[in-house]
Amino acid sequence: MNSAPFVLLIACAGMLSGAAVRLKLSTTTSTQDAGILDILLPPFEKKCNCQVNVIAVGTGKALKLGESGDVDVVLVHARSLEDQFVAAGFGVNRRNVMFNDFVIIGPANDPAHIKTAKTAADALKRIAAARAPFISRGDESGTHQKEMELWRSAGLNPQGRWYRSVGQGMGETIIMATEVRGYTISDRGTYIKFKQGKTDLKILFEHEAGLFNPYGVIAVNPKKFPWVRYDLAMQFIDYLSGPEGQALIGGYRVGGEPIFFVYGRK
Amino acid sequence: MGFIAESLRKAVLLIVSGSSDVVSAVSTSLVVSGSSIVLASLVGIPAGIGIGTGEFPLKRVLLTLLNTLMAMPTVVVGLLVYAVISRQGVLGSWNLLFTPTGMILGLTLLALPIVANYSLSAVKGADPRIVPTALTLGATRFQSLLQLTREIRFGILAAIIAGFGRVISEVGAAMMLGGNIRGYTRTMTTAIALQTEQGEFAYGLALGIILMGVALAVNALLTYVQEKRRA
Amino acid sequence: MTSIIYELTGVHVRFGSRVAMDIDSLIIRAGCLHVLIGPNGSGKSTLLSVLAFLVRPDRGCLTFCGSPVDWSGKQLTLLRKQVTLLHQDSYLFSSTVMTNVAFGLRMRGIDQKEARRHVEHFLALVGMAGFEERDATALSGGEARRVALARALACRPKVLLLDEPLAHVDQESAEIIEKLIATQCRAGTTIVMASHDEQIEERLPTRLIRLNAGRIDSVT
Repeated sequence: MNSAPFVLLIACAGMLSGAAVRLKLSTTTSTQDAGILDILLPPFEKKCNCQVNVIAVGTGKALKLGESGDVDVVLVHARSLEDQFVAAGFGVNRRNVMFNDFVIIGPANDPAHIKTAKTAADALKRIAAARAPFISRGDESGTHQKEMELWRSAGLNPQGRWYRSVGQGMGETIIMATEVRGYTISDRGTYIKFKQGKTDLKILFEHEAGLFNPYGVIAVNPKKFPWVRYDLAMQFIDYLSGPEGQALIGGYRVGGEPIFFVYGRK
Repeated sequence: MGFIAESLRKAVLLIVSGSSDVVSAVSTSLVVSGSSIVLASLVGIPAGIGIGTGEFPLKRVLLTLLNTLMAMPTVVVGLLVYAVISRQGVLGSWNLLFTPTGMILGLTLLALPIVANYSLSAVKGADPRIVPTALTLGATRFQSLLQLTREIRFGILAAIIAGFGRVISEVGAAMMLGGNIRGYTRTMTTAIALQTEQGEFAYGLALGIILMGVALAVNALLTYVQEKRRA
Repeated sequence: MTSIIYELTGVHVRFGSRVAMDIDSLIIRAGCLHVLIGPNGSGKSTLLSVLAFLVRPDRGCLTFCGSPVDWSGKQLTLLRKQVTLLHQDSYLFSSTVMTNVAFGLRMRGIDQKEARRHVEHFLALVGMAGFEERDATALSGGEARRVALARALACRPKVLLLDEPLAHVDQESAEIIEKLIATQCRAGTTIVMASHDEQIEERLPTRLIRLNAGRIDSVT
């Protein structure tokens, strides 16, 4: 039996595994889907002569990866969970990176009349009252956390066939809402991406303090997990919150619209 | 369903333009699946033949175990391997999570029961005169099993092809163990999953068409090589 | 007195619940020609398989050339290199005639190149010269039988066991096979043959062993 191809295969696998220094970053699927990392990472990789391995999963899992020391740095948008993460000693040096907001989208004819609502919680109240179809992420993501927060302030516990908890990513959730001509809460970034050809739903409610969506970057604690690439992680955090990273974030456009916003200079 | 036509168009464009993302996904799929099936065959074929021809007390138990493993959901295998190779797991210090090697480990475990089971079937269906004939002509037990393997080579090839089909199409375990890292652990299947999640159905289907093309080419090659080597 | 090749004592073979063979005592001496005669199911094939060291009896003692057979793997391989069985319906490997006939030689460490000479010799013996590159699975009944015989002879065994070698073959093949049996006899090979043909003892010096339901009826 000719073993040469076999040896070649193993060598390829070896090559794939070896090579450059890797910084493992866990983040959310919506962050990756927004496309911001495609412009943020290459300049950093060049500067530090390393490769940033992005593992994009749900918010909960992204933080869990930090809690098991399987990644070096975490970039998510769920402030309360982030604070718990740091308080429990899993992460250090949390910094604000950028923010955007959530919007409530729905069919253009707005059967629940949320356009005239005063607050986001009120908008959800109207959707529940009209029993209009509503798709929930249902996956412990940052978006889902925000949604549950709003239901709580509305004093409601959504139940019934009109309320569908799907356990899917933001993209799939928007697609589903489009199919059933229903409502959902989305981060502005993903919605803007989908506006071009994948959905005909419109933003029916926005610009409220309660829909604020801040992003934080946290280094995984080297005292707890000595093997993490802490120095490289700090370089990355400095880059993101420094002038170069902030300029790239502020200047990022999709379809001519900005998706992320940076905090003002101090 | 206009996106099927669009997918075909996109597939051609992707192939022709030689997009680096696509090339990377294809080569990662091939290397990871190829390594897995080779390892699974090295263990699975002798295992299947050994269980099929041997007479030992635990034979029934092993047969039942083998059948059960074949029905194991891939997500379960993924979880088990994840638990072992994560930093918190037994093999944590080997740093295998989110690497191609970690994926190969999981995929090999997925393909192994299939290769073993099909090899076992091939042995069961083999002419019972093969081994006694080889033995009476002076072969050792090992040599007679080698000859048996030669005589059932088409069945063995079917085992390898079945195992390969399993690993090249794997999504769940590949995603869990590899992390779908662009340019590193992103295979054709995890790339398709990503495109689907982003609502890019046409792109996803285009990748799917390319994946089927790759699988077709590999199977054709395997069959051709076997036809040529008529011992 | 010629030497004793096989000595069987109290040998009992059972397949599941069926008793295939039950022999109190049997001695087979070197030389030709021992013929096992008996109806179907009388244990002829089973006895041949035991003599070929392919089937292990569940009771009893078997000696070969004076030494007891302990049925260990190592010993079996050595023993099987001295005894070759030609099955009633032999199996030819799915490759060329050449590869088939050379099989025994390869097992005995003779490389491909040198084996070719021997193969050509034995194929000529069975009247199949020139058939080397033919596909062994595409032969007629008689041709296949002769190739199987050539394959067995190429092993140059001390003992040649034949299970109904003349059954269901064409006239030409039968004549060639019978002539070869006689030649092997004269050359000193011990031959034990199962047969339905009682007339064979008229043509060759024979010792008849009659079997019935796994037991020996008579030895003449």
